[in-house]
Amino acid sequence: MSNSMIICKDVSKSYQRGGETLSVLDHLDLEMEAGRFYALMGPSGSGKTTLLNLIGGLDRPDSGEVTVAGAPLSKLGSGPLASWRAANVGFVFQGFNLIPVLSAFENVRLPLTLTPLSKAERKKHAELALSIVGMSDRMDHRPSQLSGGQEQRVAIARAIASDPKVLLCDEPTGDLDRESADQVMDLLVRLGKEFGKTILMVTHDPAAAARAERIVHLDKGKLGHIESNVGA
Amino acid sequence: MDFLTLTRRNLWRHPLRTTLTCGAIAMAVFLVCTLRSLVTTLDNSAVASRNERLWVQSAVSLFVSLPQSYQAKIEAIDGVDLVCKWQWFGGIYIEPKNFFGQFAVDPEKALSLYPELTVTEGSKEAFLGSRQMVLVGQGLVDRFGWKLGDKVPIMGTIFPHPDGADTPWEFEIAAIYQSSKPNVDNQMFLFHWDYFAETVETASGTAPDVGTYVVRTHPASDQSAIMREIDTMFENGPQRVQATTESEFQAQFVSMYGNVGFFVSAIGGAVLLAILLAALNTMLMSAREQTRDVGILKALGFSDGRLFAYMLGQSFALCLVGGAIGVSLALLLEKGISKAFAAMLPNYAVIPQTIVLAVGITFVIGLLAGILPALRARAILPVTALSDR
Repeated sequence: MSNSMIICKDVSKSYQRGGETLSVLDHLDLEMEAGRFYALMGPSGSGKTTLLNLIGGLDRPDSGEVTVAGAPLSKLGSGPLASWRAANVGFVFQGFNLIPVLSAFENVRLPLTLTPLSKAERKKHAELALSIVGMSDRMDHRPSQLSGGQEQRVAIARAIASDPKVLLCDEPTGDLDRESADQVMDLLVRLGKEFGKTILMVTHDPAAAARAERIVHLDKGKLGHIESNVGA
Repeated sequence: MDFLTLTRRNLWRHPLRTTLTCGAIAMAVFLVCTLRSLVTTLDNSAVASRNERLWVQSAVSLFVSLPQSYQAKIEAIDGVDLVCKWQWFGGIYIEPKNFFGQFAVDPEKALSLYPELTVTEGSKEAFLGSRQMVLVGQGLVDRFGWKLGDKVPIMGTIFPHPDGADTPWEFEIAAIYQSSKPNVDNQMFLFHWDYFAETVETASGTAPDVGTYVVRTHPASDQSAIMREIDTMFENGPQRVQATTESEFQAQFVSMYGNVGFFVSAIGGAVLLAILLAALNTMLMSAREQTRDVGILKALGFSDGRLFAYMLGQSFALCLVGGAIGVSLALLLEKGISKAFAAMLPNYAVIPQTIVLAVGITFVIGLLAGILPALRARAILPVTALSDR
């Protein structure tokens, strides 16, 4: 596939649990195009989050190779991998994962400290990211002062603040009510369409998955099938 | 800047815990500064003593006196420039808690022996002018609110007044001195040997002996030889003597307190160990609470090295604030402590080396308390940290 943003080649990953080896991903091959919105679905334990973590460079495969935005992740050491994450990937988690002691604005500005931007530019970028997600009026609020939907929008603003190529979302609507979930999904779709982000979203929610352009099904650590969602 | 904000906010996540830990560190550093200052004050008084001054005392004990006839014999030794009687009086001013050293001395010789004594009020001539006149240190003036011309009654305990044990010796303040060196007590009460000797003789019928002689040698003389000669001269009595340099004489007083350095170090070490454990406990709890934050920061692209520095920075920040408070307290209370210990330990001071030591100790506590959480933050995988609940 040309124009591939994410390539997983013969990727395996297992964990030790209670003295047993638990195979989570089993010689998985997968390619994803740049600028597309993918939903990753499958039953619990099928390896969705593990695959997301491997693609995001948060974990390493036992074997095989994960290449994202042209970078073979297994060849990067811990420091370069961290720098690569800062430049190329934005994460959106189910539990939002905002730093509780920082305001919304400070949370969004935080990853920008890893860029060569000046202080004024960082401020501008953070404000822009918050305005994109519609949270400009809450930028001084701490996470504990925000609703779940608002927290997730701030988390998305943080994920896009440094303009990464790839957005990795782990159940981004899992902790939200329907209305908030729809707002978050609208936002993600918009980021894909307007800003050309490659988005990979793990979800159990068929309604959320229906908003993606492709739905990748995993089953017991193997690739099931990929659906094209014509309506998305 | 964001990391600094994060450090500050995280430390303030539990204000009570942070305040208590910070307070404990501050108290420990204050104690270390104070205890160390006690030792350095003792040491300095010995080290700063002038070595051209020798002290001659009984070889048996400081409490055994020497005959007055020894003065002329010592003066006759080649290389000896001046010999001054120096007699501990041991009287009480109003009540026993007002302890300070009173000495009967040859007044003119005493002033010549101690150029460190600068007369700041009154005059040398006024002191020498009458036998009941005394020269007192500024420390005593500050302590008791004395002024020139004040009559000071001292109740003799070792040397009672001829009119009865209930009758005080009468003195008049003729001059006030300020000591320019830490080796010279700023709370001495110096009075005339003649007044002392005549009064004692009237009371007891016999001329008093002399507690110690202070000897000044010529700068070019061989002090060791002079000390040997003095010791040898009185080898066959009536009282054997021991001549020492002033610094050795001062060191004898220090050693009377026992091994102060070891004692203080042991207490200080125990305090520091306790505080180190308290700081370590706080940092481990704080790091445990921030495990998820560490995972978030790693996911955002912060390197292992940055997170190591970040966790260590929190420990340093906590300890340095505590240390700064402790050092500030030690400096703020310096005068008060100096006043409180004035009788036992004149010229108490917190010297710069003690502050440097305290800062160094604070850094070490910060390092030791923060290193484990920092190593853990560096080593933990982002996925492991993010899965922390």
